[in-house]
Amino acid sequence: MLLDVKNMSLSLKRAGKYSPILEDLSFQVKQGETLGIVGESGCGKSMTALSLMQLLPDKARLTGEVDLQGELISVYSKRRLEKIRGNQMSMIFQDPLTSLNPLQTIGTQIEESLILHTKKSKEERRSRVLQLLKAVGLPRAEELIDEYPHQLSGGMRQRVMIAIAMACEPQLLICDEPTTALDVTIQAQILELMNEIKQQTNMGIIMITHDMGVVAEVCDRVLVMYAGKIVEEAPVIELFQNPKHPYTQGLLASIPKLGERKKKLGSILGTVPTPGSMPVGCRFADRCPHVMDVCRNVTPAMIRIKEDHQTACWLYDEKEGTANGSAGSKQLETAFHH
Amino acid sequence: MDALRFIGKRLLLMIPILIGISILTFAISNTIPGDPARLILGPKATPEGLEALREDMGLNDPLYVQYGNYMAGIFQGDLGKSTYSQRPVVEDLLRYSPATFELTMFAMFITLVVGIPFGVISASRKDRIADQFTRVFALIGVAMPAFWLGLLLLLFFYLKLGVLPGSGRLDGGMSPPEYITGMYTIDALLTGNWPVLYAAVMHMILPGITLAAVTVGMITRMTRSSMLTVLQSDYIRTAFAKGAPENRVLYGHALRNGIMPVITLLGMAFGHALGGSVLVEAVFSWPGLGQYAVNAINYLDFPAVMGVTLLIAVMFIIVNLIVDTLYFFIDPRLKHN
Repeated sequence: MLLDVKNMSLSLKRAGKYSPILEDLSFQVKQGETLGIVGESGCGKSMTALSLMQLLPDKARLTGEVDLQGELISVYSKRRLEKIRGNQMSMIFQDPLTSLNPLQTIGTQIEESLILHTKKSKEERRSRVLQLLKAVGLPRAEELIDEYPHQLSGGMRQRVMIAIAMACEPQLLICDEPTTALDVTIQAQILELMNEIKQQTNMGIIMITHDMGVVAEVCDRVLVMYAGKIVEEAPVIELFQNPKHPYTQGLLASIPKLGERKKKLGSILGTVPTPGSMPVGCRFADRCPHVMDVCRNVTPAMIRIKEDHQTACWLYDEKEGTANGSAGSKQLETAFHH
Repeated sequence: MDALRFIGKRLLLMIPILIGISILTFAISNTIPGDPARLILGPKATPEGLEALREDMGLNDPLYVQYGNYMAGIFQGDLGKSTYSQRPVVEDLLRYSPATFELTMFAMFITLVVGIPFGVISASRKDRIADQFTRVFALIGVAMPAFWLGLLLLLFFYLKLGVLPGSGRLDGGMSPPEYITGMYTIDALLTGNWPVLYAAVMHMILPGITLAAVTVGMITRMTRSSMLTVLQSDYIRTAFAKGAPENRVLYGHALRNGIMPVITLLGMAFGHALGGSVLVEAVFSWPGLGQYAVNAINYLDFPAVMGVTLLIAVMFIIVNLIVDTLYFFIDPRLKHN
């Protein structure tokens, strides 16, 4: 196993007291696998990524175990973590416009990872930087190496970010909404590049996104998060064909489909509860069309529906696909379609 | 090229600024009540003698004629003759300004090496003990009157402990180094005169600290607030994500991005220190422009007052020009736009 996360929880101090941001996350990433993490804004996707990297604000309390290639990095000191970040584990951020240092050349910024983690000579570093620039599909690498971020377009800058992340050939690449800030054609190009990289290397990728299209494009397996918790986990095809959690169903219902005539796109009413004012029981209860009494009182546990498909919902039993309560699974699928 | 055009433009802009300053100081010095001729000749002067001196000094001409004559002199490198020292003002300025310039540069040096790291530490340890300490320290520095701090330092380090000299630029009986720049430390360094260098540095410590107290406070506070903004940036997170250690991120990535407003303020602080030197020089008997200016004002020595004012204005403008030019070397975005 490449990455094994057990019971990871995160609290952040706000206005003098700790409020929970992530609760009890457990998941795994295999080598060569792309795991998608999806959910609405504010559900804790980015915080999950930053927790794995341990790039959290000072007043954060992180518990649980994170195991990267047999190393329990969750207990590592700052110093030891610095050796891992950017080396075994890299991250690509959402906004390429602001994620690069405006005062350093592209070459310097890519080179920094090499300076930090390798013993390469100056010439070796330069040739590696050129190689990386070409690998991420950037033209005229020789000139680009001495240019500044403001001279590049958004798509090019994201390619530079990918080059930075790939510099030391990490085993795990965490992508936090890498295409959100880009326009659609550039998005497609970047996703294509990600798929290429995936095929060439054997690294594991965590793809954080709120875009189901991106999930379908690059992911092998998907975690659905809601209000700081995992509510469903399934292989990508299974998730699209047979979503179990009402929240997942809602997310899928809100994607427009080609060739389908609908007056109104499905939407999930209400908003995500804020940290610090989490409801008792299931956190989705207030927005769920199938809410039952038990949902408001007891937190549902993860239930294994199939070998590789789990969900945390009171509608299901441990047995395959059986529906509990008043709502049958057939009704469920249509519940969000207005 | 853009940088050169920018510098050229700023140099041209200096001309109207300097003309403005000269008109202003000239007008102010001439509206001060009192008669320089009477001050020179003393209470026993005869009316005829006074009148002759006034005529000789050009004091009877209309103000605009006096100003015209003065400006005509400036373009020939003549700032008039000091009525108090009886020497050409240019000569006096050359004699006194190196001392002030040396002290001010020393104070700026202290400001840089103390203020910037303090600001960085304060920002990176926000709300923790180091930050609280630095903030209080900076506030005291900004709020404390320089002459009072100077007296306290004198009392403690000179009178009580006796570890640092309290007045003048060199120990008694020591002769100054050969005149090259007029700044004793630099001249001593250039001529390899180590005992004089040591004495000159020791003599600068107390007045230097006194002069720097305010500017250190200013720079610390500005560095802190600028760094706090920069540390929130995405590219700082990127640097940490690469595995860069904290100090590398702070001084390698954040400081350069956050230094602009600090440098701007540093130009202002330089002016502040030049002006503040009047008080500090009085406390530490530092024979510089400040002392010279105070004497000049007391004796209604207009050419000297004008000379000091113009010199300080020129220094201030040049320092700020240097500061503005630094932008081009720090931010590549300015070069390309």
